[in-house]
Amino acid sequence: MATFFDPFLWSPSLRRSLNWGITVFSVLACLLTMPTRIPGMELLGVGPNWMLIWVVVWSVNRTAWEGAIAGIVLGFIQDAMTAPNPSHAVSLAVVGILTARLRKQRYIQEDFISVALIVFGMAVISETVVALQFTLGSLTNPTESYPTLGEIWLFHQQIALCSAILSSLWAPVVYYPLQRWWNLMETVEQAQLS
Amino acid sequence: MLTVRRWWGRRGLQVGLIVLTLSIAWGLRQSEGGVIYELYRWLTLPFQSEQDVRSIALENASLRELQGRLLELESQNQRLRQLLDYSSEQTEGIVAPVIGRSADHWWQQIILGRGRNDGVAVGDVVSGTGGLVGRVTHVTPNTSRVLLITDPTSQVGVTISRTRMMGVLRGQAGNRAVMQFFEKEPNVRPGDTIATSPISQLFPAGIPIGQVESVDFRKSPAPEAVIELSSPIGYLEWVIVSKNTTPQSEPIESETAE
Repeated sequence: MATFFDPFLWSPSLRRSLNWGITVFSVLACLLTMPTRIPGMELLGVGPNWMLIWVVVWSVNRTAWEGAIAGIVLGFIQDAMTAPNPSHAVSLAVVGILTARLRKQRYIQEDFISVALIVFGMAVISETVVALQFTLGSLTNPTESYPTLGEIWLFHQQIALCSAILSSLWAPVVYYPLQRWWNLMETVEQAQLS
Repeated sequence: MLTVRRWWGRRGLQVGLIVLTLSIAWGLRQSEGGVIYELYRWLTLPFQSEQDVRSIALENASLRELQGRLLELESQNQRLRQLLDYSSEQTEGIVAPVIGRSADHWWQQIILGRGRNDGVAVGDVVSGTGGLVGRVTHVTPNTSRVLLITDPTSQVGVTISRTRMMGVLRGQAGNRAVMQFFEKEPNVRPGDTIATSPISQLFPAGIPIGQVESVDFRKSPAPEAVIELSSPIGYLEWVIVSKNTTPQSEPIESETAE
C-alpha cells in the first residue's frame, strides 16, 4: 500500500499513465465547468474562459509546438460545444504559442500572480482574435447572418474585459494543482533516470 | 532512411499520441460534443430540481385570471380560424429544465436536460414564461442546445401586434434585442407588444416576444426599435419545447426570415 502513495516507487508505465490520466481529467473538469454559471463566476453574463486558462497553464513551461497543439485540440472540443464557425482552435493556438514564447525568466517569475497576469493578457488577445475572425467572416460572406461590424467590436469590448478579469482571478484554481503535479512528475522522472 | 528510422524511434510515440489526441478532438467536433453534454447532464442531475416550477407560478391569482381570459380568447380565435379555414396545429409542449448556458461568450445558447429520447427535435420552438426564447439547434439523446433569440446571429421575422408593422428582430446579447423595420415610417410607439410574424420561416406566427422600449426613426437604412424581451432570458430555469409546425423550418443554416 505504501508503494502506491510514494511517487518515487511507481513504475515508469504507471507514472506515465497516471500523468496522462490526471491531465485528461483536468481538461474534462474544465470542459464541464464551461456551461455552468455558478454565482460569483459571472460578470455581465460572461464567465471565466476555462479552456484558455488550461492552455496557458499547459504552455507556461512547454515549447511553442506543444502549446499550439494543446490549443488546437481544446479549440476543436470547444467548437463541438458551441458552434464550429469561426473555429476556437485559432485563438487558443495563438494563446498557446504566445504563452510558450514569452520570455518569462526575464520579466516575470512562475508564481500564480504572474500566471494570472499572463491569463489576463491572453484573454484579451484571444477575444481579439475571435473578433477578427468574426470580422473576416462578416466581410467575406455578407449574405450570411453574422453580426454587423459595429456589434462585433462592441461585444468584443464587453467580452474581452469581463473574461479577462474573471479568467485571471480563477486561473490559480487550475494552475496551482496542475503545476504541482507536473513538477512532481518531472522530479520523479529525473530521479528515476539518474 | 536510417535517420528517418532513428527519428521515428525517438519521436514515434510522441507523434502517435499527438495524432491520437488531435483525431479525438476532431471527432468530438464532428459529433458536435454529444458525449460531453451527456456527461454534463449526468453530473448535474443531482442539482436539478424535480418539482414543476410552472405549477408554483400558476398559484398567482391575477395570473389565473389572465389565463382564463386567454383561454376564452383562444377558443374564440379557434372558432374564427375554423370559419376562415386557417390551419395551425397546437401541440402540447415538453417541459425541460435549463441545465447550462453557452460554453463561450460569443454565442448565446442554453443547454436543456431533455433530448431526442423525450421527443425534442432540431428546429423545435422553445418558449419560457413570457414568450419566445429560441430554437433547438442540436439534439443528443438526453440534452439539447438552444440558440437564443438574443444571439446576434439569430434573426426572427416579427410584427407589431397593434399595427401589423413587420420587421426583423436581431439579438443584442443580454435581455435586449433590436427590431429593424421594413418601412421608412412605421406606425409604432413605445409600449407596443411584438410577436413572431406569419412570414417567419423558423417560428410559427403569433408567439409573443416582448415590448417596444424606444424607437429611433432616424436610423439608417431603416428605422429601429429597441425591444425589451418579456421572458427573463438571463435567468431561465425551465422552458417549454414545442414542435415547430412551420413548413420551412428545415434549413437551419439560413437563419434569416425575410
